[in-house]
Amino acid sequence: MTSTSISDFYPGVADFARVGTASPVEEISRPSLSYWQDVWIRLKKNSRATISLYIVIALAVFTLLGPLFWQVDPFLQDLNQISQAPSLRKSATLVGAYKRWDGIVLSDFPVEPQEYMESVAAVTGLQTFETATTQQVRLIWDPLTGSAGYNIYRNHRLPEGFNDLGLPLGSTYGANEVSYEDRLSLESRTYYYSIVPTDGYDEYEVYTIIEVRPQMIITVSEAEGRGLISEAEEGNLGQEIRLEFHPFGTDYLGRDMLARLMEGARVSLFIGIVAPLIFVLFGVIYGGCAGYFGGTLDALLMRFADFVVALPFLLFMILFKIAFGIGPGESGIFPMLLALILLAWPATARLVRGQVLQIREQGYIEAAQLLGAKPQYLIFRHIIPNTMGVILVTLTFAVPSAIFTEAFLSFIGMGVAPPTPSWGSMCNEGVKTMLSHPHELIFPAAFISVTVLAFNLLGDGLTEALDSRMRSRE
Amino acid sequence: MSDHILEVENLSVEFSTYGGNVKAVRGVSFNVNRGQTLAIVGESGCGKSVTVQAIMGIIPMPPGRITGGSAKLNGHELLGLSSKEANKFRGIQIGMIFQDPMTSLNPTMTIGDQIAETLMVHRGKSHSQALKQAVDLLEKTHIPEARKRVKQYPFEFSGGMLQRAMIAQSLACKPSILIADEPTTALDVTIQAQILELMAELQRTENMSIILITHDLAVVARMADEVAVMYAGQIVETGSVDDIFYESSHPYTLGLKSAMPSNTGSREKKLTPINGSPPDLFSPPQGCGYFTRCPYAMRLCDKKQPINFVVRGKQNHRSRCWLQHGDAPEVAAIHQNNSGQSRAD
Amino acid sequence: MLAYTLKRLLAGVITVWFIATATFIAMHMVPGDPLMNDKAVSAEIRKNLEQKYGLDKPVTEQYFIYLGNMLRGDFGISFTQQNRRVNDIIRDHFPVSATLGLLAIFFAATGGVLWGALTAIYRNRMPDIIIMFLVILGISVPSFVFAALGQLMLVNINSMLGYSLIPVAGWGTFAHMLMPSLVLGLGTMAFLTRLMRSSMLEVVNADYIKTARAKGLSPVRIFFRHQLRNAILPVITVLGPSIAAITTGGFVVELVFAIPGLGRYFVQAVQQLDYTVIMGTTVFYGAFLVFMVIIVDILYGFVDPRVRLE
Ligand SMILES: Nc1ncnc2c1ncn2[C@@H]1O[C@H](COP(=O)(O)OP(=O)(O)OP(=O)(O)O)[C@@H](O)[C@H]1O
Ligand code: SF4
Ligand SMILES: [Mg+2]
Repeated sequence: MTSTSISDFYPGVADFARVGTASPVEEISRPSLSYWQDVWIRLKKNSRATISLYIVIALAVFTLLGPLFWQVDPFLQDLNQISQAPSLRKSATLVGAYKRWDGIVLSDFPVEPQEYMESVAAVTGLQTFETATTQQVRLIWDPLTGSAGYNIYRNHRLPEGFNDLGLPLGSTYGANEVSYEDRLSLESRTYYYSIVPTDGYDEYEVYTIIEVRPQMIITVSEAEGRGLISEAEEGNLGQEIRLEFHPFGTDYLGRDMLARLMEGARVSLFIGIVAPLIFVLFGVIYGGCAGYFGGTLDALLMRFADFVVALPFLLFMILFKIAFGIGPGESGIFPMLLALILLAWPATARLVRGQVLQIREQGYIEAAQLLGAKPQYLIFRHIIPNTMGVILVTLTFAVPSAIFTEAFLSFIGMGVAPPTPSWGSMCNEGVKTMLSHPHELIFPAAFISVTVLAFNLLGDGLTEALDSRMRSRE
Repeated sequence: MSDHILEVENLSVEFSTYGGNVKAVRGVSFNVNRGQTLAIVGESGCGKSVTVQAIMGIIPMPPGRITGGSAKLNGHELLGLSSKEANKFRGIQIGMIFQDPMTSLNPTMTIGDQIAETLMVHRGKSHSQALKQAVDLLEKTHIPEARKRVKQYPFEFSGGMLQRAMIAQSLACKPSILIADEPTTALDVTIQAQILELMAELQRTENMSIILITHDLAVVARMADEVAVMYAGQIVETGSVDDIFYESSHPYTLGLKSAMPSNTGSREKKLTPINGSPPDLFSPPQGCGYFTRCPYAMRLCDKKQPINFVVRGKQNHRSRCWLQHGDAPEVAAIHQNNSGQSRAD
Repeated sequence: MLAYTLKRLLAGVITVWFIATATFIAMHMVPGDPLMNDKAVSAEIRKNLEQKYGLDKPVTEQYFIYLGNMLRGDFGISFTQQNRRVNDIIRDHFPVSATLGLLAIFFAATGGVLWGALTAIYRNRMPDIIIMFLVILGISVPSFVFAALGQLMLVNINSMLGYSLIPVAGWGTFAHMLMPSLVLGLGTMAFLTRLMRSSMLEVVNADYIKTARAKGLSPVRIFFRHQLRNAILPVITVLGPSIAAITTGGFVVELVFAIPGLGRYFVQAVQQLDYTVIMGTTVFYGAFLVFMVIIVDILYGFVDPRVRLE
């Protein structure tokens, strides 16, 4: 046994004065907080949940206020700007209308070789004629003795060999026809053109490559048509014109991705938030009734809920969606909302019923009933406050699953009808051009993922905050 | 060899939690005598379970942390062992049973397998040998039809039966100490009496020491040789069962006694609950932990931890209270022999 | 146990009836005459169908004809594919979906248990943090994105190798099945990992683990004999619903990977408003899922004695 040495401490007489009986006032060591204040504080301590909350707020701003700042029509198609990658603001040089070019055909060079050879040398002197622009790329080269024509190829990257020359653009016939004009959907990027000599039919396995980067231009009439210049500016050829700005690129119809993502956010978040609000509310009332009244009614209600749960969810989403039908020109949002509400309520109903049963069994409710408390008093004073926590958690988790459902249906083409965008239907369109233009899939997919992630983390944080609150009350 | 089988000195345990560090056990010391029963009493949350779990090395770490002290079993240090070293005495020299037998056995394993497991691991027995011995053990704890019972699962047992099975399991390797953490709290009264009887019987036949944790002073009176009264993570009074019952010298012990119904005390004596609540263990008070609730509190008590005074010259009877100081005013209830109650026998 | 099984089966049959009824109601809510919607229906087929489904009779009578057909296991004839019986369609294409689904469930369950146990062991340390981050991703990224990314990855791997190591799409060999089933199982795997982790952590604090430690068992033994076995139980209980999630998730994967499964067929049928195929597949899937859940529940009984012996 240890006992502190008393030698270093001599209490005086005053120290032994009585301080009376036990102090009646309990020392309150911590300020007491209301339930929700406490939950809120716990939630704020959870950094993941806080970040998620900010993301959700940012999404709301993006959806609601975004269109005020980004006034681009999400439905406007621009076939000149199909599947543009995301980029900074671009400009183009204003030029006049396209002028025909007859090319170069040498009169002093033989059209065909005197004799056909096994092999020839590669073409030399390949160069661009005039400036290469997005309107046209003009190539010229030196005539090659022994050939009877040339094939022209174009590739997006440096060819790795004879079999990798890229897109066959065309052929010229005759060794003296030594020019080619490419006008095939040119963009302002680097191209690799290759010239392969032929014997009129077959190619010789030699090629010459030139790297060309066309200059972005826009014709006067086009610029006027797109409202980029006024009539007064028509004469300023050579002037730099600012083109439409597509920070997130464009889709396969040349529609602005950013505007569509905002519009899509409205659809996806509308379904993702309104549907859960309604079906959770319905579930709360349904489950609350079952739990509160109990007995046969409870058994009947819950049996029906069991049946609804057993319906294969997505199959019936699809069935109900077609059952409610969409007329021409409608977006199909409403049928989807309805189907979601019809199918998704039972989970909440079960949960709330369980909670209500649990609360009812607690002693204080019985005591209150014995003391003559009215049902509405019990419901509003005890049952609702005590179930609020789980309901909130359910709601938070219902949002991402509704967003998922919308995305899933839209992805398989059963969701909102085109041209209405939703994140899911944008993914559906994007997946088709995934290999060449991944941004059309990546952006909407990222929006879905981030939103779902944020709501999931928020739900987790909320569950934790409520749980630890429960535990600390024990 | 001393007659103390277990010597615990200055044991301190903390938990780091959401709200801060809980100093659950603050410098606890006690001894267990060979073949005797030490009862640890105290209200809920005072650190009884944490104390014995720290000795067993089964405190979850983190959040728990043993911040100091020692516990010696027959002179061998138990604290700070690796799990491999600790397993040389856990289940072999010290057996332990818990408060809630319903949740203390693995629900997906048969009772027999759970008892046999100990024997297989520690005694190297084959499964069938171990199972045979499990039947014997169940019979020793008076479980009827033991042969059938070994093949059953915990949910097929009643609470009392489960506690018997727990006891059988803890006795498998003939431990020299049995730690029983509120072994009867979860059971109803008649079953409680049977379990206590069984423990007393086994103590005699197996010559074990027992550490018995309880809030129930009646259980203490019936079972204990020595008593340690715990309050707010400290032992405030220790002594023989007679010292504690007839000469209790700590205000908290007095409070506990008057809060306990007694079928032998005088009729008109009222039960008086202890007002207030124990101190916040996140930041324990600098003085006596009982200060805010103590009817005899003095100015000094709030400033300075009371030391462990020897009560009336009896080396084994100690009280952590300033009233034992020579300069303290006399308090009738404490300084006269408080033999208002007569003993059950 | 037998009584329990029979009771569950009976409840299952009633549930399937409910599903069939709901399908019937949904299909009859579709505006207009189902046969009129598709001009491709020839007069002959039309007459045939009218006779078979009693489309000229009142709705209640139609309902009973429909139920009778279902009861005999006759799902009728496709509207759009002349003379192809829905039963044949299901027989031809369901095994593909089932194989895909089974593999996916296998990946999801083994992965979920493994990762979940691992995260619980390394709680709040690096492996836990990394795996849980991936899990959160797995739960938040839609399956079709995984499918697209998986395919993209295969394309890149193959083009890097210069030959087709793993086919990018289609069906037939095990190599075909690998990526689609992995992709399909990913979301469920993430979900099961989370479940397993929290279940493990709950079990760690269970009283019987304390008992096991007080008995002087080694940590390894406690982990395998006491902790893992009890922690897996909740994972098994959600396997039934997980099968449902994986089955319908299969639609997307079948579409993206061009797998000739029933899911892809269903989506096609919906697009073409092929009513008999829609109804047949819905009821078939519904029944399949209901009985899968029952089977999982019964299997659960073999792991958890509390259920088995009651
Ligand atoms: N795992 C833990 N994490 C945090 N704090 C803990 C933990 N275990 C115990 N404590 C704290 O330690 C203190 C003592 O707990 P202990 O279980 O020892 O009490 P007890 O005296 O056994 O009470 P009871 O009679 O209710 O069993 C409690 O206040 C509790 O808050
Ligand atoms: S030390 Fe003081 S406050 Fe503490 S028990 Fe003794 S008299 Fe009471
Ligand atoms: Mg305890």
